[in-house]
Amino acid sequence: MNRSTSRIITMAAIAIMMVLPAFAGDYPLQVARNVMMYMALAITWDMLLRSGQISFGLAGLVGLGSYATILAVVRGGMPDWLSILFAGLFSGLVAFGIGFFILRLRHTYFSIVTLALGEIFRIIIHNLHDFTGGPEGIVIQQGVMFGGKSGPLYWLTLAGLGVALAASYWFEKSKFHFALTAIRNNEVSAKTSGVNIFRWLLATFVITSAIQGMIGGIFVQSYGFASPDSVFSADFTLLPMAMALLGGIHSTVGPILGGILLGLVSEWLKLQIPYGHLVVYGLMIIVVILFMPSGLLGIARKAGSRKSTDENQRRAV
Amino acid sequence: MKKTSMVLAALLLLVGGVFAQGTIKIGGIWMLADITGNQGSKAAQLAVEEINAAGGVLGKKLELVVADDEGKADKAAAQVEKLATVDKVEVFLGGMASGAELGKIPAFKKYNRVVMSTGAAGSATVEKALGPSPESDFYFHLHPWDYNQGASYAEGWDAIQKQYPNIQIKKIFLAYEEGAFGKSSWDATKILFGSQSRYTVDGAPFKSAAFGGGDYTAVLEAAKDFKPDLFLWAGYDADALPLLEQSKAMKFSPGIYLGAPPGWPIGFGSSKLSKNVMLYGMWSTALNDTNAQSKKFYNAYVKKFREEPATYFALLAYDAVYILADGIKRAGTTETAALVKALEQTKYASALGETITFKPSNIIKHQGITRQKILQWQDGFQEIIWPFEAATADPVYPFPLWK
Repeated sequence: MNRSTSRIITMAAIAIMMVLPAFAGDYPLQVARNVMMYMALAITWDMLLRSGQISFGLAGLVGLGSYATILAVVRGGMPDWLSILFAGLFSGLVAFGIGFFILRLRHTYFSIVTLALGEIFRIIIHNLHDFTGGPEGIVIQQGVMFGGKSGPLYWLTLAGLGVALAASYWFEKSKFHFALTAIRNNEVSAKTSGVNIFRWLLATFVITSAIQGMIGGIFVQSYGFASPDSVFSADFTLLPMAMALLGGIHSTVGPILGGILLGLVSEWLKLQIPYGHLVVYGLMIIVVILFMPSGLLGIARKAGSRKSTDENQRRAV
Repeated sequence: MKKTSMVLAALLLLVGGVFAQGTIKIGGIWMLADITGNQGSKAAQLAVEEINAAGGVLGKKLELVVADDEGKADKAAAQVEKLATVDKVEVFLGGMASGAELGKIPAFKKYNRVVMSTGAAGSATVEKALGPSPESDFYFHLHPWDYNQGASYAEGWDAIQKQYPNIQIKKIFLAYEEGAFGKSSWDATKILFGSQSRYTVDGAPFKSAAFGGGDYTAVLEAAKDFKPDLFLWAGYDADALPLLEQSKAMKFSPGIYLGAPPGWPIGFGSSKLSKNVMLYGMWSTALNDTNAQSKKFYNAYVKKFREEPATYFALLAYDAVYILADGIKRAGTTETAALVKALEQTKYASALGETITFKPSNIIKHQGITRQKILQWQDGFQEIIWPFEAATADPVYPFPLWK
């Protein structure tokens, strides 16, 4: 799949998302909100993956952002919309602080530490009972944003996805792309070429963490509560990873494709098999990861390169 | 012949007319992968079929549309939207996990249709998110809140000590799983048992086997040092047998060994370790001997699904459908204001062995059951010890020393 096809797919997906509220009811809009939320996480997970670093800390940062939002509103009286931006800023700052330590690590070590960080955040929230509500959680007494109306909440989630998409495209178009690809391919040669590895990794980690925290803020403002079990749920790590892997990694369009496909299939399966859909869904993800490791995008790229090779051979003959 | 045909045609028209006026759709939302939701949804379907077989409600058939919330807030919210806008259900029922219920509440408020809730006991979040009357008047909470449960346990143990003077409780130790369920149990226990120095209360958390834990050595050591008269654990079914195994290994035999999981593992009664373990609950098969409604439910459920109802959540869902149907009959409509008014007059003799009415709780206006029961595993069966009016056996005390 070449760049222009990727751009067409992305533009088509954005166009559909923009016009959806005009003709879809509350249920499709709610499903779309869920899909967009996980899609934004999948995109940001992939952005860091482009440097070769696999993070398992998604749920930790979503949880951190969720609590930043709810505590800013409940304890600090911050306006709803500002609390979402605050969640992004807070998560970014925390990522900046811990990035100095953990971005010295690589591969498995980095992955394990990010997984542990998520658990540490959860335990801290869990134990600050008087401030955070502890294991039971905390609710926004005045209710959710926009009175729970589907339309405005849809636009809010789409705005969150828009930020993730814009950041991802910026990464693809700017020096980030070359720096992260160079780091992923060979750190030693990247360093000898003058790439400041730590600086690029730190910037990527801070930006992706800020967006993940902001998505946590949108989750809280959509449902009006945060509890450790809900906002530090492993789903926030595993589903975005599965979406990116299904669609195809190291791109923006891959997580979009995977997000749409997995999100819709999950809902469709639930309607068809209410008592066993999770088993089928789980099996499907396993099969996809086993037999399609490069994702849909990889398959499309292979098909594309085979086609151009055939054409070249035909021309040569 | 002509006359007979005309009578038959009139009858057909009449019968057709009764059910041709459509159905009353009930949206049931549970976590279907969990035994409480799985059996709850089946029990609700059983009640719907029984009511339809008896002529339906207001000349219409009931139709249950089942949805899976997966125990997650975002998925639960999507299911409320689907049931309200696609299936166009007129009332809602179900619920179990507080986290999922919190996801549903904004959508419930938006549609303002009657909700008969069978779970979600977390008052610090769910009851708070619902808010006071009149904004939460559509919500009928059947299951006791956590503070209701705590108060009923305190009442029960006071009554048991009075009735059986050989049972004396001074020190209580609570081992609680570190999540929301365990922590709220601990908070309630500290307040209800520890206040006015009536009892000396201590406790410690543990990681439930349901969430990757399973080593209870630290919490059991703390309990053993404390030498409690009553040892209570609040966790999940996965903790039941490992806790007893490790208690046995550590020779920890308190006077009363009590478990408070939402459901017990299937076949727990056949384990020797279950002998004389006490528990909190709302129902057991022992109730079939004294309560006709319970027996009717049990026999019909086993006949239809070829399995035993393992938790009281099945009976709550079954009762919820009957309460809704009675309310709709009395209101003559499913319109929210009229139905709320009718449901406020509910006096329903439930399969759980008590008459359900709705009264205000700390925040909301419509709270159903407020008491749980104290039971004991005796010879593989759960016998009811308290309330005494529903008791099926005397308590066996003390919990036997490990051999």
